[in-house]
Amino acid sequence: MASAFRAKKLDLGGFVNIKVIRDHTKRKAYEQFEPQRQALRYIIRNTSLPQRMRTQAQLQLAQTSCYTRPTQIKNRCTMGGVGRSVLRAFRMGRFQFRLNALEGNIPGVKKASW
Amino acid sequence: MASASRGRLLELAKLQCSIFSTTFNPNRQRLGNKILRQRLRGPTLAAYYPRRSTTVEDVIQEFKKFDLAGFNEDEETRLESIQIAKLRGKGAPKKKRTPSDTKKKGKR
Repeated sequence: MASAFRAKKLDLGGFVNIKVIRDHTKRKAYEQFEPQRQALRYIIRNTSLPQRMRTQAQLQLAQTSCYTRPTQIKNRCTMGGVGRSVLRAFRMGRFQFRLNALEGNIPGVKKASW
Repeated sequence: MASASRGRLLELAKLQCSIFSTTFNPNRQRLGNKILRQRLRGPTLAAYYPRRSTTVEDVIQEFKKFDLAGFNEDEETRLESIQIAKLRGKGAPKKKRTPSDTKKKGKR
């Protein structure tokens, strides 16, 4: 079921890992179904619409695949696929960030010393 | 100063809404407009991981048209190290062919 969202050919360029592929697939599925989800959410939140319609929208939203939910998306390290302590601004885990910063790959980042 | 009637105030509010293109909602009903106002986050979220671009293999494949041969150094060193590992008996295990094979092994 969930593999239906996965691209037939790998479309990632950097570090690849099954967890990274999964997360990427979820991101793309969310992008695809976002307008539909927002429309259903609008129907649910609009109190001027008939109650029956709103309940139906609730059911429909609950029945969509979990891959289309934004809460399923997790920021992972783009260099190593690590899911913990990922620096959002650099899209890197703490250790990859340290390695790349010491190597001088990240512009503007310098080891502090005083 | 005479205070304006409720009807007049409502009219004023309606006019204000039509001028500033906001929704006229005197009863403060929840109409879910905040969801319509939200931006779509999908494109930014989907652009998180770097996408696949041209690889060495693609370039070699392109150059084959002009009868030019190239070699992918990284790939060759990888295959070479795999060969060395296999000679030492440290290669990857053989893949099981049928599910029944593993069942028999498990029973023994």
